[in-house]
Amino acid sequence: MNRSIAAEADIPEDRTGLEAVDQLEHCIEHATHRLPAQGPITVFVHHNTLHSLEDLPFDDAVKQGARIYGCHPYLPEDFYRGEAARGRIASKDLSAVLIDDLGEDADWLLGFMGTRYHLRFAMLEHPLRPGTDAELRWLIAETDALHRFRDEASRDVRQRMIEPTRQWILRDYLDGQARAPARGADGIAALIAQFGASTMERWTDRTWESFTLHVLWRVCHNGVHGIPPFAEGAPLPRRHRDLLLRATGQDADLLVHGVLIRFCAAFLDQGFAAWPLPDREAGFFRSFAALYRDERRVAAWLRDLPTELGRLERSAASPLESIDESLRLLGVADAERGEYLSETLLALRGWAGMIWQMESNAEWAVRPAPAGTLQEYLAVRLILERLALRHVARDALLGTVELRDFRTVLRHRIPQPPRVGVEQRAYLVFQLAQVRGWSPTDLHRLPKAGWSRLVEEIESFDSLERRRIYHHAYERGYRNQTLDALLIHARRLGPVDGSVIPSSANGQQGRVTFQVVCCLDEREESFRRHLEEVDPTCETFGVAGFFGVAMYYRGVTEAHFRPLCPISIKPRHYVQEESIHSFADASRFQAEARRRLGRFSLRVHMGTRTFVGGLLTGMLGSLATIPLLMRVLLPRRTAQIRRLFGRMVTPPVTQLHLVRTGPEPGPRDDQLGYSRAEMAGVVGGLLRSMGLPEQFAPLVILTGHGSSSLNNPQEAAHDCGACGGARGGPNARAFAQMANDPRVRRILAEDGLMIPDHVFFIGAYHNTCDDGLTYYDLDRMPATHREAFQRATTALEEARQRNAHERCRRFESAGLTITPEEALRHVEGRAEDLSQTRPEYGHASNAVCFIGRRSRTRGLFLDRRTFLTSYDASQDDPESSVLTGLLRAAIPVCAGINLEYYFSRVDPTGYGCGTKLPHNITSLLGVMDGAESDLRPGLPWQMVEIHEPMRILFVVETTPEAMLASIAGEKSIRHLVDNAWVQLATLDPETPTIHVFRDGGFKPYEPVADDLPTAPSSLAWYRGWRDHLGYASIVPVGPCPTLDGQGGHQ
Amino acid sequence: MNNDQIFNALGGGVIAVPGLLLAVLGLAALLSRSLSEEATTRWTSACVVAGLLSSIAILVLMLVSGSRDVSLEFGDWVVIPEEHFHLRLKFVFDRLSVPFVMLTFVLVGTIGVFAHHYLHRESGYGRFFLLYALFLLGMVVASLAGTIETLFLGWEFVGLSSALLVAYFHERLAPVINGQRIWTVYRISDAAFLLAAVALHHATGAGDFEGLMGTGPWPGGEAALTSGQALEVGLLLLIAAAGKSALIPFSGWLPRAMEGPTPSSAVFYGALSVHLGAFLLLRVSPILELSIWLSAAVVALGLASAIFGAIVGRVQTDAKGALAFASLTQVGIITAEIGLGLRYIPLIHIIGHASLRTLQLLRAPSLLHDYHLLENAVGGHLHHRNGLPPRWTPPRFREGLYRLGFHRGQLDAALDRFLVRPFVEVFRWCDRMERRWTDLLTGAGSRESDRVPPAAPVVEEAR
Repeated sequence: MNRSIAAEADIPEDRTGLEAVDQLEHCIEHATHRLPAQGPITVFVHHNTLHSLEDLPFDDAVKQGARIYGCHPYLPEDFYRGEAARGRIASKDLSAVLIDDLGEDADWLLGFMGTRYHLRFAMLEHPLRPGTDAELRWLIAETDALHRFRDEASRDVRQRMIEPTRQWILRDYLDGQARAPARGADGIAALIAQFGASTMERWTDRTWESFTLHVLWRVCHNGVHGIPPFAEGAPLPRRHRDLLLRATGQDADLLVHGVLIRFCAAFLDQGFAAWPLPDREAGFFRSFAALYRDERRVAAWLRDLPTELGRLERSAASPLESIDESLRLLGVADAERGEYLSETLLALRGWAGMIWQMESNAEWAVRPAPAGTLQEYLAVRLILERLALRHVARDALLGTVELRDFRTVLRHRIPQPPRVGVEQRAYLVFQLAQVRGWSPTDLHRLPKAGWSRLVEEIESFDSLERRRIYHHAYERGYRNQTLDALLIHARRLGPVDGSVIPSSANGQQGRVTFQVVCCLDEREESFRRHLEEVDPTCETFGVAGFFGVAMYYRGVTEAHFRPLCPISIKPRHYVQEESIHSFADASRFQAEARRRLGRFSLRVHMGTRTFVGGLLTGMLGSLATIPLLMRVLLPRRTAQIRRLFGRMVTPPVTQLHLVRTGPEPGPRDDQLGYSRAEMAGVVGGLLRSMGLPEQFAPLVILTGHGSSSLNNPQEAAHDCGACGGARGGPNARAFAQMANDPRVRRILAEDGLMIPDHVFFIGAYHNTCDDGLTYYDLDRMPATHREAFQRATTALEEARQRNAHERCRRFESAGLTITPEEALRHVEGRAEDLSQTRPEYGHASNAVCFIGRRSRTRGLFLDRRTFLTSYDASQDDPESSVLTGLLRAAIPVCAGINLEYYFSRVDPTGYGCGTKLPHNITSLLGVMDGAESDLRPGLPWQMVEIHEPMRILFVVETTPEAMLASIAGEKSIRHLVDNAWVQLATLDPETPTIHVFRDGGFKPYEPVADDLPTAPSSLAWYRGWRDHLGYASIVPVGPCPTLDGQGGHQ
Repeated sequence: MNNDQIFNALGGGVIAVPGLLLAVLGLAALLSRSLSEEATTRWTSACVVAGLLSSIAILVLMLVSGSRDVSLEFGDWVVIPEEHFHLRLKFVFDRLSVPFVMLTFVLVGTIGVFAHHYLHRESGYGRFFLLYALFLLGMVVASLAGTIETLFLGWEFVGLSSALLVAYFHERLAPVINGQRIWTVYRISDAAFLLAAVALHHATGAGDFEGLMGTGPWPGGEAALTSGQALEVGLLLLIAAAGKSALIPFSGWLPRAMEGPTPSSAVFYGALSVHLGAFLLLRVSPILELSIWLSAAVVALGLASAIFGAIVGRVQTDAKGALAFASLTQVGIITAEIGLGLRYIPLIHIIGHASLRTLQLLRAPSLLHDYHLLENAVGGHLHHRNGLPPRWTPPRFREGLYRLGFHRGQLDAALDRFLVRPFVEVFRWCDRMERRWTDLLTGAGSRESDRVPPAAPVVEEAR
């Protein structure tokens, strides 16, 4: 350790500096796990918000998260009560979950007050109104709380309370028998006098009701009086700033963050500012020092900063040494350093997390941060904190306090937390007594020990516990609905023979006319369902949307290669889109035109912000009203015009450079693409994993998906998760081209996988925002397939219209009576609308993931809530290795999406990034709220508002044994499953039986419902509904009903 | 019906329509009968369209009839004869106010449509549109004002609604702090404005603009003031304009105004509010001509602000902040143009700049999308080194410029220290004296508030 620092710090060296520094490094490393793990927003990868706590059981982890981050673990109690009131949480689910949770304790008896179960159930069923003492005093004095029973109290209960009271008063109390001498002060005599003792015999029922309640209140009040508090008060905060805030109401972090936010943004800037930060290469600390070293600071609290920075620079202390010094000066003991540093980092967690991401995980970025930046950040932060604390303390406490003794002094100044008020406790018992029917007489006789037990019992079932039970019931209801629907639907289908085409389908006797392979994304569920409804002779599959083609891809108009595959895979292959030979000249010209246009618009874009350029553009700026008005008033038309112009500078026909000439894959020209053998591996791998179709249709269409929308910083979050938050069209295109290659087919045939010659693959791209469909490479389609393609596209066109229509039911701005054509126009407009904050709802409806044959779910209305992965257990090997492969991708990806939505919905401003309206893109990395705030990771409110936060339910079509065997060796999956971050069930491939995973093993599932509604079409089932919708079997009757009345496609 | 009556009807319409909108939305909120989103939008667009059409009709009529200066009087509201004071509501339609009021209707109307989608399902939807109506009324009144009292009325409406819109997300701390700061700067500017009005009244005995512009339609009027009086009144008005237009030294509030929802940031701070100071200077342009010193001060302040904005803007790393300082640069230039004696050029500049900036701010959340498109077109990462500071300047100078930009000239800290701090110190001293006195009288701690903890107790549903 440096001598000068030790002298400054004026603390005896009790250990070697090296040790302390080592320990510090470890503490910081540990704290980084708690930081948000979202990288630059342009690559949006959904992941579990509480990933670092995955080794804890879910319920413990969310509580731990609540402590660490100060966020909600579950939704607020009011929300669940509302759901219970409207029937979404059924009373039977509540009681089942409660019994389950209590186990043997359920029957624990509390005298006449019933069992623990009864008590807790009453607390769940009937909301207890909490309040501060002052609020309750007002309630007692000003409302009819003491005159009328609560509405929930039944007639029977009311009688049970009034009668004994009447008897007790008339028979015993007046005679003086019940009046024990010690209880003389209970105030009942005064009450009787107040109500008029002489007229007692003539009291009406209402008077007795009021009197009973008055007595009850008095008894409760007396009963709980003097019972000590059970729960310990929350410990005092650790950070100086928190204590100071509590004691004085002044926030030192406001000052610190003002400086840090601006500097972090400049340091991490990926090229937004015209002038980059000078000395950025020197690292965080040095460039900070360069900015603040020389100048005289006007702000009083920063006046000592230049001296402090100069001293540190002269002493050449390392960041860790500086942190060590700051902690000593702040009087932080060795034992609490870990927690203290963790809390310090979390105070501005968005920026700290982004620094860590840019330092550790973003080597591909334009300007990644050098290693050690977070340590330097922390060093700077602690220096600033010291200055700010000293300043605020001087200002507010009117005296100078040594920083080291700061916390001790503050702890004495913090006002004592209010004791548990008698009113609050009394009122809880008072409310419970009314719904449980405890008469004042019985309560009056309850000894003090009994009261103490009662209060403890009530307080041990606090709000957090109630919310946990509510939440489990909330999940249970939907889980049972799902499992019941799967069972009943399976039974309805009869024995599953593998063929999915209903044999009655228009005399074609099970001949499949075309097959469509989509992403497993739950947004494609409705698209597939509608397609199957429109043309029952088609067959659909769901696979991870990169179609096994893991590649770096560069489009013809794009500047860089970007990975198109799940983030867990690092691609080896590079693929490029090129214009075809005969358009090469035109294409060069167009590329030049694009470049010139791009440069020009960049110059205009930047120019309007400069002095002279701004002057010129300002003069001509009135012209901007034209695009302004057009874009706001006619978004869809404007987009069409823009596309028209765009087409002029884009090559009309392109091809993929897919066949490699060189030996090794790489980004050079001869390294681009795949070898035939690799292609055969990709094609065979995918076809086998999705369960080889019994028969190939002449036409197999693969649709990758993505989403494009305007004015949406989180745009990438709507893209395909299996492509790492990018658009999967090129993957589908590449796969089709590979599978069509006769040489690839020959290699596959040698391997035992026959793709008949008459089968043709087509790649396509589905835009989930405007429901557009683009097909690739149609020029290569043989003439023999034109008719089949015609038929398929007619069905696909109709299906995308219907899909748009079904999506529109969730958009309040689209009327419920809209036609499918209007619906399509509506979603097209949404995608191009600058003012649209909800271009699509993304994954907001996700709840279930089904892994199995489509035949088990075909014709079941899943409400876009189910990820659908095709898997056929009968084609798997005995070790279920195909299933393992599928689960390895499906469980982490789907759970990541689901849990990110869970947390962003449960606490939209804590875990999520709040409302989009004030968002401000900064440093091309993320969004801030308004002018200057912490970076906001997570999902915005507009994306999650309709989400029902539930842990995702995986239903796998296999046996429990095979399931357990296939995940036995997968540590990351076992973490999620064993700790109940996801729910797991199996559906037997042969029979309609379901097993649910609980407490380490599979238990058979007992169905709850015995019926599942049917509807003639999806439209008939969802029409007129905005909210989430239950399951139904879609059983077409007669010709398929269509919306425009033109007759169905049969 | 003769021309005058038509003018009166149309002019009354232009002013009454925003008032009607405010009354409808305000009364609905007051009576707790919140309007649906659809109803709010119908009212808003109907009123804005009616206002726009009336103002276009007035323009056409003015062109046809050749009348260049039409005024509309609503009589004296307060008359104090012995002081020669009368508070008059008077509106003027001339070559300055008609384009400005049309710009207001077009931009505010566009933003109304935009916000209808953007704030869909937001709990503060009604509040936003109420403030929006207040803002519209303020802008229309201020643009058409014919007396200094009328202008002040509109000016206050605009200030109030702006500050409340900045603090729109009042559940968070930063918007409230920033909203309050803006409100405070506006008070300073208002104080200067009022002092100017008093000084003017003192000098001429009337608050009418005629005292400033003399007679004759804008921009040809001549003021009936001496050069000295003009300098005195003009400097006060310049302070007022500087506060409202975020010129030096008040520039710090402009980026802070980006706390509200995007549409309000766009139209109010990017486009309209921020030009109100320049508009005021245009309005009183005849007195600028009376004093060369005053004109020089206006030019100097405008140029300084423009250069300052250009430097600071280049350092900003967030989309909205960069646009805020880009606005400041242009407003500074506009102010300088006014100081140079130009009249129509600044007006065209205001209109063009307001439209352009609104579009840019509305597109701010698309930044990443646009950058991606540009990168693809250009074929690489975007490198846009602007010419400033030139390579030949010494590195120390370049670093100095960066620091100036990064710290925003420490203007906010300077205001805090040299303007706010003395005030606070004085009042704290008074407070201490009072406490000492009351403690002495009661013989014990006399402040109940001392015993109240800074945070309110939280009931069970703890975070």
